[in-house]
Amino acid sequence: MSPLFCAACSTLFAPPEDADPFALLGLEPAIAVDAGALRKELLRLQRAMHPDFFAGAADETRALAERNTAELNAAYEVLEDEVRRADWLVKRQGGPDENEERQMPQAFLMEVMEWNETLEEARGSEPSSSAREAALELGRELDTERESLVRSVAELLDPLPNTGSDVLVEARRRLNAVRYVDRALRQIEEIRLECRSSSSTS
Amino acid sequence: MPFIELNVLNNAADPILGIDLGTTNSLAAIWRDGRPQVLRHEGNDGRVPSALYFPENGDKPIVGQKVREQALVDPRGTVFSIKRFMGRGLADMEGELSSVQFPAKEGEHGLIQFDIRGRLYTPQELSALILMRVHDLACNALGGQHLNRAVITVPAYFDDSQRQATRDAARLAGLQVERIINEPTAASLAYGLDQKKEGTIAVYDLGGGTFDVSILSIEDGVFRVLSTSGDTHLGGDDFDRLLVGLALEDLRSKVDAETARDPAFLQALRLAAERTKMELSSRLEAEYHLVVPESDLRYHREIRRSEFDALAGPLVERTLDACRRAMSDAGLEAKDIDEVVLVGGSTRIPLVRQTVEEFFGRKPHSELNPDEVVALGAAVQGHILAGGTRDILLMDVVSLSLGLETVGGGVDKVILRNSPIPCQATETYTTNVDNQTGIEFNVVQGERELAGDCRSLGKFELEGIPPMPAGMARVAARFQIDANGMLSVTAKEQSTGTTAKIDVEPMHGLTDDEVETMLKASYDNAQDDFDRRRVADLKVEIDRMARATRAHLDEARPKLDPETLEDIDEALTAADAAASVNDPDAIQKVRDELERATLPLAAVLMDEVAKQAVAGKTLEEASE
Repeated sequence: MSPLFCAACSTLFAPPEDADPFALLGLEPAIAVDAGALRKELLRLQRAMHPDFFAGAADETRALAERNTAELNAAYEVLEDEVRRADWLVKRQGGPDENEERQMPQAFLMEVMEWNETLEEARGSEPSSSAREAALELGRELDTERESLVRSVAELLDPLPNTGSDVLVEARRRLNAVRYVDRALRQIEEIRLECRSSSSTS
Repeated sequence: MPFIELNVLNNAADPILGIDLGTTNSLAAIWRDGRPQVLRHEGNDGRVPSALYFPENGDKPIVGQKVREQALVDPRGTVFSIKRFMGRGLADMEGELSSVQFPAKEGEHGLIQFDIRGRLYTPQELSALILMRVHDLACNALGGQHLNRAVITVPAYFDDSQRQATRDAARLAGLQVERIINEPTAASLAYGLDQKKEGTIAVYDLGGGTFDVSILSIEDGVFRVLSTSGDTHLGGDDFDRLLVGLALEDLRSKVDAETARDPAFLQALRLAAERTKMELSSRLEAEYHLVVPESDLRYHREIRRSEFDALAGPLVERTLDACRRAMSDAGLEAKDIDEVVLVGGSTRIPLVRQTVEEFFGRKPHSELNPDEVVALGAAVQGHILAGGTRDILLMDVVSLSLGLETVGGGVDKVILRNSPIPCQATETYTTNVDNQTGIEFNVVQGERELAGDCRSLGKFELEGIPPMPAGMARVAARFQIDANGMLSVTAKEQSTGTTAKIDVEPMHGLTDDEVETMLKASYDNAQDDFDRRRVADLKVEIDRMARATRAHLDEARPKLDPETLEDIDEALTAADAAASVNDPDAIQKVRDELERATLPLAAVLMDEVAKQAVAGKTLEEASE
């Protein structure tokens, strides 16, 4: 049950201090989330407390609807994405955040240097040049790599490790790696979008 | 005893208008008889061209249909495409100033002001004039029912300043703005509702001045926007400009440099270009012609659709860039899209349709009129807000990231684009020097890395921080984007719990005080307008009454006593003189006096009618 709304009496409640995204959507903290059920629950709760349905209500109620919907949206953003979900859970279990633990898995560093070279060459090169093709190919590899990294993090966090466990540090390192992969993927996406538009306008 | 439903107790709120304030046309719709309907007036299609004409003699501006005619006679008095100026500064508008034929300057907070016949107008005020006209016609179409709550649409890609400007325009027009919603999202409401759709849809909205693309998922009646992208400077106007360029090229030898820059000439050319563009949407070839009587200039050429397509190709391609970005942000590919919806007049261009169809790999929908679908959707949203239904819900996103300028001129993003709204984020600040009581920060919107490349929404100044040693204060600034996609900031000093005051100096916008002052001025003007209209109405009525009296006076004369006849004569004389009276109260007296004096005449005539009716004849037949 979400603490934001009472279905029986149709009343809105202010979000508790330190609102927990899982709790806001009526869930227990866990890495595994049923995406379909989560979305249904979001839609159900939004139907109950979206400000659109309180346009004629008193100012106070309207503000609360606005606030609760914002909290709910923020919670959903954390829960729907497995990386953000893992990040939140590592912190919740007292694990390090990305500033406290900056390391990445050892093998990973070499790889990062290789990508950077590929990306450097691709930037500013001609459309459909081999450098661009290499970057796009790297993108496909990184997609696969990201998938297995995220899966491994999920395995580390299931069941949730105890507070202070070394597993949390390892999970953080892998999440750092995911961040690097994501940054590279974003750059590749830019190259891909760029490449399309310049090839089609020329 | 029968069951009686007490509807009165449901406290049904007044309906809320849906208004599409467009670059080229504006339109109002409302929820009636279980569906959204466009409010049409006098057999018209309901569209009000978003254009203004300011007569040279300083008379009140004309809005809408008649402006196009005026544009040909006196192009120097016209204002078109004012929407493009909303929430913008002069520097943003280079090359576009020809759509407004008056000198522009930059006022306070970088606000654009046009000097129109000696009075300064902001884009907000000009848009308000258009909205007033739309509102007036809507109320007329409703049989005089006066509704003033409205949902107003804006391009999804409008930033905070542009949204604020739109809301201020509506307030200046005397409307109570219940919600600002995004045009493509509104369109999806009109479509989804009609078709009871489920699944993923792409809305491609190419209007007169702006382009938006939104990807939505519809599930259980909830319309959830997944991503949105666009270009606030790409629309029908730009296609016209291509044809204008073509003509200028052709005319290079015939037209001197001065004429080529002459706003009146360019205006006439622009209208000819627009006509040609529209013709090419239904035909493979069109006549592109223009006659400028004053300079005895004639221009004529045939243009084939394929030639136009070649010119327009790069513009249409630019829309695809935004489509790719939106798909990428939604994490989807073209094959994941179940339906494609076309919105905006420019989607009538065959090249646009064909390109969209190829891009998404499916035939786009266009069952609903692309010019009306946005207003219809706004009416649906109005219906929801008026408490009319809980079956449909719209969950939109913020289209541009919101960030804070860092010390080095970079951007610290606080709310990412495509975050669902309403949303919020909290940032904590501290002081740099002892006893510092204020902190200033610059809020920017956009995706670029440097604050200078993003749009500044204004300077926010935190005040009232209790004096304490440097670094001790912890001020939490809460950024909230509401369901309108608009930002508000509140702040609290955490160690003492003091609420810090936030002063906002809007960029390219009006402060609340300025809106208040303008509103007050417009109330005074409104009284003037009201009086003038009342005088005009009364004159028409007096004229009608006097003519009717004269038409029947002779036949009734034998039945009226001399005093009454004298009375009527006097009243008629006063009525004749009324044409030159302009005081509303004096003219009201003339009308009332005429009515009073002719009462006995009316009684006699009624008597006649009764007799004739008995005899099976009408008064008209009797008087023949």
